[in-house]
Amino acid sequence: MKKAIIYINQFFAGIGGEEEADHQPEIREGLVGPAMLLNQLSDAEVTDTIICGDNFMGSNEEEAVEKILGFLEDKEFDIFFAGPAFQAGRYGNACGVIGKAVKEAFDVPVISSMNEENPGVDMFKKDIYIFPGGKSAAKMKDDMAKMAELGNKILNGEGPLTAEEEGFFTRGIRHQVWLEDSKPAADRAIEMLLKKVNGEEFKSELPIPKIDRVPIAEPIKDLSEATIALATSGGIVPVDNPDKIQSASATRWGRYSVEGLDNLPNREAGEFKTIHAGYDPAAADANPDRVVPLDALRAYEEEGRIGKVHEYFYTTVGTGTTEAEAARMGQEMVEYMKDEGVDAVILTST
Amino acid sequence: MRLEIGNFPVEDIVFGEETSYNDGLLTINKEEALEVVKEDEHITEADLVIARPGEEKRIVPVKEAIEPRYRLNGDATFPGVTGKVESVGEGRTVALKGCSVLAVGKHWGSFGDGLIDMSGEGAKYTYFSKLVNVCLVADTDEEFEREEQQKKNHAIRWAAHRLAEYLGETVKDLELKEEEVLELEPITKRSQDVNDLPSVVYVMQPQSQMEELGYNDLVYGWDANRMLPTLMHPNEVLDGAIISGSFMPCSSKWSTYDFQNCPTIKRLYAEHGKTINFLGVIMSNLNVAMDQKERAAMFVQQIAKSLGADAAILAEEGYGNPDADFIACFAALEDAGVKTVGMTNECTGRDGQSQPLVTLDERADAIVSCGNVSTLIKLPPMETVIGELEALARDGLSGGWADDEKLGPSVKEDGSIIMENNSMFCGDQVLGWSPKTMKEF
Amino acid sequence: MANLIPVAETVGANRMVPTISIPYPLGDPESSEDEQWKLRYHRVGVALEALETAIDEQTVFEV
Repeated sequence: MKKAIIYINQFFAGIGGEEEADHQPEIREGLVGPAMLLNQLSDAEVTDTIICGDNFMGSNEEEAVEKILGFLEDKEFDIFFAGPAFQAGRYGNACGVIGKAVKEAFDVPVISSMNEENPGVDMFKKDIYIFPGGKSAAKMKDDMAKMAELGNKILNGEGPLTAEEEGFFTRGIRHQVWLEDSKPAADRAIEMLLKKVNGEEFKSELPIPKIDRVPIAEPIKDLSEATIALATSGGIVPVDNPDKIQSASATRWGRYSVEGLDNLPNREAGEFKTIHAGYDPAAADANPDRVVPLDALRAYEEEGRIGKVHEYFYTTVGTGTTEAEAARMGQEMVEYMKDEGVDAVILTST
Repeated sequence: MRLEIGNFPVEDIVFGEETSYNDGLLTINKEEALEVVKEDEHITEADLVIARPGEEKRIVPVKEAIEPRYRLNGDATFPGVTGKVESVGEGRTVALKGCSVLAVGKHWGSFGDGLIDMSGEGAKYTYFSKLVNVCLVADTDEEFEREEQQKKNHAIRWAAHRLAEYLGETVKDLELKEEEVLELEPITKRSQDVNDLPSVVYVMQPQSQMEELGYNDLVYGWDANRMLPTLMHPNEVLDGAIISGSFMPCSSKWSTYDFQNCPTIKRLYAEHGKTINFLGVIMSNLNVAMDQKERAAMFVQQIAKSLGADAAILAEEGYGNPDADFIACFAALEDAGVKTVGMTNECTGRDGQSQPLVTLDERADAIVSCGNVSTLIKLPPMETVIGELEALARDGLSGGWADDEKLGPSVKEDGSIIMENNSMFCGDQVLGWSPKTMKEF
Repeated sequence: MANLIPVAETVGANRMVPTISIPYPLGDPESSEDEQWKLRYHRVGVALEALETAIDEQTVFEV
């Protein structure tokens, strides 16, 4: 039989309310509080219950996570549940924090439930399955039933588990599926068009997600003291492409020295070229400075407008490259830049 | 404009003495057909191989697909490509249905080439597994692009067009059994009943992003990079005015076969006079500079406004930066009060977590989504390979790779493969066949 | 520095300077070497100004 473990807070464990919210994390073999209900509904055996005070998790997150992951280290389990957390904000946050950590550490499915008003939903719906739940514990049975049902489907290998059919909050994970009725795209388009024209309700197959915002960096106070790095998604690399960066759907990046160079010598000179397959390479191959403007930045260095040009430029290919890979590569680049005192980056894209 | 297409269903294709058609059986005199192929001296080697649905055959690298056709007045089937520039879309054309000519590299692949499995799990990823395919497997002396990832593939693509015309000619004197009539009255000469229906334009954004000539889709033989959006009659699109290019990752590509049979145009025709008033096609393009993208969107908006379009269906041949053309055009149409539905594929990554289009706009509120270019696909070996399997890994196909830290090379020693949907031949079928959609998981 | 400003906006870039195209962001091969240099020098200069400028929302700097 498959095994499950559940996380609940001090209140649902029957330890106490607000006065016990600093309760230290603990694991108890067997069923505590809502774990009993889950055990009835789930195809898996619920072997253990993890309990933690909401405030303890809130103010000692790192310690709580470390302890709980420690409890789980020698346990065998196939799936993890957290909550339901209803409208309780701190409990929702705790379910999310623990759920995400457990998923990352043990690669098991994690399922929770929260009311749509619970801030935990937006914070963690991308990381774990979260069902829209009731406002209060009056909905315990309904909410737990949804969690258990999805868990059973996962454990029994049923699928595909789409948000639309199962009802969990969308997670921004989109995959292609073959429609059961094989309705061709042309028919779907005409039907959608007629509804739109006639003012009827229609459903886009690609709901526009909210745009990610990035915190704005502070301006550079004194450029003449600053080290500026060049970076590009235009695929400029040494002609032998030493890091084997892919020419599309890149997962690799490289950094190459520009010490002593006033500009980037071209493909013909046997130095730099582009390996980017998404645009006509002729202009970049003939003069890589069109993509990585080293010559212009050197001129500003010469003039004293900037302190200096960083020793390396950073490069990858931005065609077919997913946002997730791009973000990872960007973070990896930034670590080098920070270590070597780069104050700002000019990033060129093609 | 009235176009009559005489349809001759092809159930099987064999080689024989005389190129002929008889009751669903197409016989090809291989030698004669290869002479047509070799009219271009740049073709150095060529062979024809038949691939039927259900056979254990894997075809790669596939560069183009064409439905065999012939224009009964003797004009070029593909104007500006297989002959002089003459207008098409009016008159009579014959077509061999249920089959296609595939242009296949004997050795060499390029970025935009694709793969077709005729049976098994892989067959569902492409429309062409359902057709009886005449594979023109050829090599050329186009040495200048031998090592290039982007290839024009001119000799082999043009040869395939000539071959399609040669095969189409087979039925030119035969009695018609089934005829498809495609007729739209001039826009200002329609009855009140039709005029009262919501009027719809179909906006097409064919691939045209290479600034050097020779890679892009052609409109009457003219490179679509060098044009501004214009009004076209849907019959022109269906009758060979447009041929596919040699640039875009393959699952996003629209082959010439797709243009000739464009399901969205056919469906708009079916609705014309019943639920909509089909005004025609606004042929736009895809560009490489923001001002060009904006200019094209502006022209599309203006044409739609001038025509008095109430609604539009908008389709892009590509993903990545073409999404910016798509969204710019979508927004421009909505701003002009033209209620728009977009058709596209997405690039959400192998894990499905990336942003679906590189540009997003809340005005794009109605989209039909046809697939994820980056889905990872593993397929077992096939008994026979037509072309050269290694091309998938070696030659920079958009969905293949020579090596990967975790996944190894795309082509394994036993002939099994791992690839991205990107290289499934015309797999996402944004012109309207796609049985796929995208869902949240 | 990007030609496709809408893409840069969508992925959340905050300081943006337009370039002239996808295949040659900073130098049109059809124009003279001198013009290309001027363009490149100018736009990189705008990027440097952008780095010095305090902003409170996504901003496209005029070139």
